[in-house]
Amino acid sequence: MTTLSYRDAVAKALQDSMRDEPRLILIGQNLSSHAFKNLAKMYGAERVRDSSISESAMVGMAVGAAMKGMKVVVMIAYADIASVCHMAIVQSAAKLHYLTNGRLNCPVVIRLPIARFRGHGPEGNEVAASWFYNVPDLNIAMPGSANEAYWNFREALERKTPTLFFEDRSIHTRSGIVAESNPSGTAEITRSGDRLTIIAAGRTAALAEDAADELAKQGIRGAVEVVSLGFIKPLDKKTVLKAATKTGRVLIIQDEPVLAGYATYLRCLLDELPTGKLAFPPRIVAGADQYMPFWDERSFLPSVEAIIATTREMIEEK
Amino acid sequence: MTPTILPHETTNQTSLEWRLYRDMLRTRLFEEALIRWEHEGKISAQTFPSKGQEAIAIGCCLALEKDDTVIPSFRTRGAMIAMGVSITEQLREFVHSPLAAGDSRDAPHHSSWPERGVMPGSTMIGGHLAMAAGLALAMQNEKQGGVSVAFFGDGTLGSGDLHETMHIAGTWKLPLILVCENNGWEMSTPWPKVRKTRSLIPYAEPFGFATRNVDGNDALDVYQAARWARATALSGQPVFLDCFTFRVGLYSSHFGEVRGGIENELAEWAERDPLKRMAGWLIEHSAASTDDLERLSQQEETRLEETFEEVLTERRKA
Repeated sequence: MTTLSYRDAVAKALQDSMRDEPRLILIGQNLSSHAFKNLAKMYGAERVRDSSISESAMVGMAVGAAMKGMKVVVMIAYADIASVCHMAIVQSAAKLHYLTNGRLNCPVVIRLPIARFRGHGPEGNEVAASWFYNVPDLNIAMPGSANEAYWNFREALERKTPTLFFEDRSIHTRSGIVAESNPSGTAEITRSGDRLTIIAAGRTAALAEDAADELAKQGIRGAVEVVSLGFIKPLDKKTVLKAATKTGRVLIIQDEPVLAGYATYLRCLLDELPTGKLAFPPRIVAGADQYMPFWDERSFLPSVEAIIATTREMIEEK
Repeated sequence: MTPTILPHETTNQTSLEWRLYRDMLRTRLFEEALIRWEHEGKISAQTFPSKGQEAIAIGCCLALEKDDTVIPSFRTRGAMIAMGVSITEQLREFVHSPLAAGDSRDAPHHSSWPERGVMPGSTMIGGHLAMAAGLALAMQNEKQGGVSVAFFGDGTLGSGDLHETMHIAGTWKLPLILVCENNGWEMSTPWPKVRKTRSLIPYAEPFGFATRNVDGNDALDVYQAARWARATALSGQPVFLDCFTFRVGLYSSHFGEVRGGIENELAEWAERDPLKRMAGWLIEHSAASTDDLERLSQQEETRLEETFEEVLTERRKA
């Protein structure tokens, strides 16, 4: 067990993967001259590939290299750019395993840092995960803690189909314990409580923790159970349903509009529970259905205050 | 003149020239049969016939060696044939035989046999070129002496992925061979309406590609060009072969003939038919007689119908 920041957990996952997987390569921009100098020095230009600004071809090449049995991490500068390589992600990467009847695998990780609160404006502050929620075989990781950041990354490279790895820069400095080993594909109960279950991912899992701390200060202790999803697709139904039925009250937090994504899907899933399993209908706190202006992103996104207010309402519901 | 022995063959029982002719003939007869069977309601797959262009796929693929890979375009059936995928194996994909290696998931013009070096293409024009570059990247890293080949039509010039792929492959000196089946038409649109020059070499050269104009209707010229391309690509410079040809056949079995006013061109290119020219070479060099060629044609026709029946029986028994 080590305590690491979220940022260092991702970096360690990358370093350990490069050490353990001789056929793993990285493709991205400014790697050897900037962000990954050390890896480039250690493993050479063949494994740390400095690419031109050609995201579509970068992902396409990763798929081609995977056809020869390699593993590839494609470093995209920030999540919005997923739109530039949408074709390569959906048509080339996600479909490879299916189209070849499982004769070829695609252990490709596409790293997509979420770059909100950095002044990039509406073309640089998207989360972009829900854009891909209906693509079969495509894994989507959205780690909410250092442990998830490390283990979601390591696990993604073991999968037969590609993974979008949404790393949230806004929680880069938060620290946590990274376990020595981790069960694969499971959601994590980061806090145990008996009155309400919050299901969240990425930054919103961190917000849920903060909200629970604040509620405790306000005298509501041991009430909130927090489930951090890690992989939002496919997600760990077993853990989610167990945590949901434990409290009977479910609040889902999603950092994007609610029209698509894990929040909507989870509500569908919870709707299928037998009558009486949940005391109240699940609720969702989600991003507004609009773009976020450069001068103010937070007003349009879930906040600790909104989570607290909704939690209080739900707990007090009779 | 002694017939040439193929690089991957150990005896001269099948000379290069005979194989070039036989595989082109097999491709043409197979595609004609596919269209016939579709019209008779026996199969339901759209065929994009390569009639008139067969020399490009066959000449290139027979020049390849073990561990080389190809990604065909949607009009490169000959690549599957020359890479050694039997008609039986191909037909299984058309009719969803229980023995279809790909389980008939991909469209039959994109069927793949990775163990034979035939990799899955893309319906997204140009998308497969980046994948071919990725295969080349893996080959460069693994140092096994393989090359990666991709086929595409000249209309692919409009695709950003072609430019991105050439940009990176030229810089990284990938063992990549891009083979343009340059027939001068983008479906129903003649090239002068949509680009400045018929040749694509002016676009490929500045990216660092070694280039060669090829008579795409002369199987021997294609073969020699591909042997040169292979050596060049392995020595550290990717290659662009611009193979001029003409699509004598339909755009596809569904769309039919979509070009107006091409009667003169059809007559002119019929004289340059790749099968006719190869047959002429074989007879002139006493490598085959007219009777031999007629017998071969009958054998191939008979074998095609027998194979189709066998595959249909195989499916019925399932």
